[in-house]
Amino acid sequence: MSILSYNGSAMVAMKGDNCVSIATDKRFGIQGQTISIEFPKVFQMGPHLYVGLPGLATDTQTVVEKLNFRKNLYELKENRRISPKVFASMVSNLLYEKRFGPFFVEPVIAGLDPITAEPYVCNMDLIGCINEPEDFVVGGTASAQLFGMCEALWEPKLKPDDLFETTSQALINAFDRDAMSGWGATVYIIEKDKITVKDLKTRMD
Amino acid sequence: MTAEVNSYYPDYATETPKQFQFSPYADNGGSVVAIAGDDFVIIGADSRLSTGFAIYTRDQNKLFSLSKSTVLGCSGCWCDALTLTRILSARMQMYEQEHNKVMATPAVAQMLSTMLYYKRFFPYYVSNILAGLDTDGKGCVYSYDPIGHCEKATYKAGGSAGALLQPLLDNQIGLKNMQNVTPAPLTLEKALALLKDVFISAAERDIYTGDKVNINIITKDGIKEDTFELRKD
Amino acid sequence: MALAEICGLQDFDNRKFGNNLFDDIGQYSGNFSHHINLAAPPFGNPADLHKFNKDEAGRKLKINFDHGTTTLGFRYEGGVILAVDSRATGGAFIGSQTMKKIVEINDFLLGTLAGGAADCVYWDRVLSKQCRMYELRNRERISVAAASKLMANMVYNYKGMGLSMGMMLAGWDKRGPQLYYVDSEGSRIPGKVFSVGSGSVYAFGVLDSGYRWDLKDEEAQELGRRSIFHATHRDAYSGGIVRVYHITPNGWVHIDNNDCTDMYYKYQEEKKAEEGK
Repeated sequence: MSILSYNGSAMVAMKGDNCVSIATDKRFGIQGQTISIEFPKVFQMGPHLYVGLPGLATDTQTVVEKLNFRKNLYELKENRRISPKVFASMVSNLLYEKRFGPFFVEPVIAGLDPITAEPYVCNMDLIGCINEPEDFVVGGTASAQLFGMCEALWEPKLKPDDLFETTSQALINAFDRDAMSGWGATVYIIEKDKITVKDLKTRMD
Repeated sequence: MTAEVNSYYPDYATETPKQFQFSPYADNGGSVVAIAGDDFVIIGADSRLSTGFAIYTRDQNKLFSLSKSTVLGCSGCWCDALTLTRILSARMQMYEQEHNKVMATPAVAQMLSTMLYYKRFFPYYVSNILAGLDTDGKGCVYSYDPIGHCEKATYKAGGSAGALLQPLLDNQIGLKNMQNVTPAPLTLEKALALLKDVFISAAERDIYTGDKVNINIITKDGIKEDTFELRKD
Repeated sequence: MALAEICGLQDFDNRKFGNNLFDDIGQYSGNFSHHINLAAPPFGNPADLHKFNKDEAGRKLKINFDHGTTTLGFRYEGGVILAVDSRATGGAFIGSQTMKKIVEINDFLLGTLAGGAADCVYWDRVLSKQCRMYELRNRERISVAAASKLMANMVYNYKGMGLSMGMMLAGWDKRGPQLYYVDSEGSRIPGKVFSVGSGSVYAFGVLDSGYRWDLKDEEAQELGRRSIFHATHRDAYSGGIVRVYHITPNGWVHIDNNDCTDMYYKYQEEKKAEEGK
């Protein structure tokens, strides 16, 4: 079993019309054993910026601390909010520093640009190769299932309500076919003047 | 000189013994989807036959019509699929001549399971999905693991993109995680549209699936064939 | 043969394949005439199959058999209760949420399955044939002890070849309610309380705390149901629906099927109501 699937996770981020979404499952397990069903894997890094860290749970926690440190230092030095694109470079840089002994996380980033409010999503592999598509990104043990769901459900210019529905359906149906993730889900819809956080009712087995 | 030194100093390389392992299995990819309705069943399979990053052919039909109301879709190790279907159709012919009637789909389903289990210690590396009409004319789908565990379903995706396709079918046909919907009987038009949709999605992300979908529509009037183009890269 | 040895082919047998199609068919479906006549692999040890888990290009093949389970069974005053989940997983992928893990061998005999799904179903089918043959020969139903011994002996012939099954056989015979555990290693153990599968540790936690010999029927059924439910909640490889069967002096009765999601929110409500009091 791969070390990336030791704890199990499912994550997806989508672009919409002047909004982005990011959604995650809530399980923390050790292989087949479910330890916690309220484990945070998505973290707020700014008013319109979220990062999700699916993969090995211990590295999720280490990486988020390191990222917070570097992001705060950047914002103090520059005296302005970090943009999602710059933040993505920062994450990539952090991961590549450990090129030969990597953190086992495959980050997913979703946010709006602080100035232009341009939607932005990206993900990267565990050593920081950035992928910036125009539609959606997925990560975690249910990524094959998520690719199938998103590829069929996603369409351009989704309004926030539709984006919420699309993201949640993609996530829930994907992790219902994955043994290692699930047990509740949280969806974040990020708009310019509003952030909606919703917990979903899901299967618990 | 070890192999490591060889790679650093290619000029000083010497031939060292190399070990090759013969493998009796190949993974030729491919995906199969079957959806059953009240009086019909459709089954589709992509037509790409590949090995790793190479494509053998873009036009290989993976659906085997076993009788007027039964079709088997195979993906995985193509040579195993050929052998399996050859023996299966021979067995069906023997049944027909012995009993003077065509084997019904549920009977074929059980026989396939037994035949797969025969090779328990050296399995056929094939992902099978059997679609057909039962004796009442109702559509049914049977899916198998490589050693013959069989389960009846109303829809199933299998093969290299099975994991991508199945959750979407759960959602759209099984109506999983849908609130306030009343289950309506599935129409042939909706099933066909959905089948095409899921294959388009799979071809986007699975490199072993693409080129074309061969579709068999099985009704009481027999089997109608159809094709549908997919991306070819 | 020298070339064959260099290529490492000496382990492969060189059977003569007949040109006669009829021989061929017999060769490829030998278990039709004799159910225990499975094909011998073309290499020495059948458990060595995992050596061929790569294709020619060296890519890993995913030969995933359906696996993973929680099953339980216990004997009490009113008979035997069997309860099982319904999830089949191939690797981490959930292949099915509706698998039938209780096999109805005959009207007085049930078998649960854990481990390799195909192994269990195939051998249960063979067993049900043998039980029927016994009935026809002896004009009485087979005892659970005898049936379980048939099963244990059958799979013992394949010991060490990679079969994977852990099953319970339950029924009601002349000697009353019976429960046996049989596995592919050849064990055959009579007992009162069993749980088998990846989620069995969680199921035992609930089962042992609630088990008494003098349970009422409803209490016993609910205990089985609840034990499986809690196992599905904690074990990733168990889930789907909980099926409960009850074996009475008049044969087995299928009590009910419950979806784990419905049960989770029902129990959650009950807990809340309890706290409100």
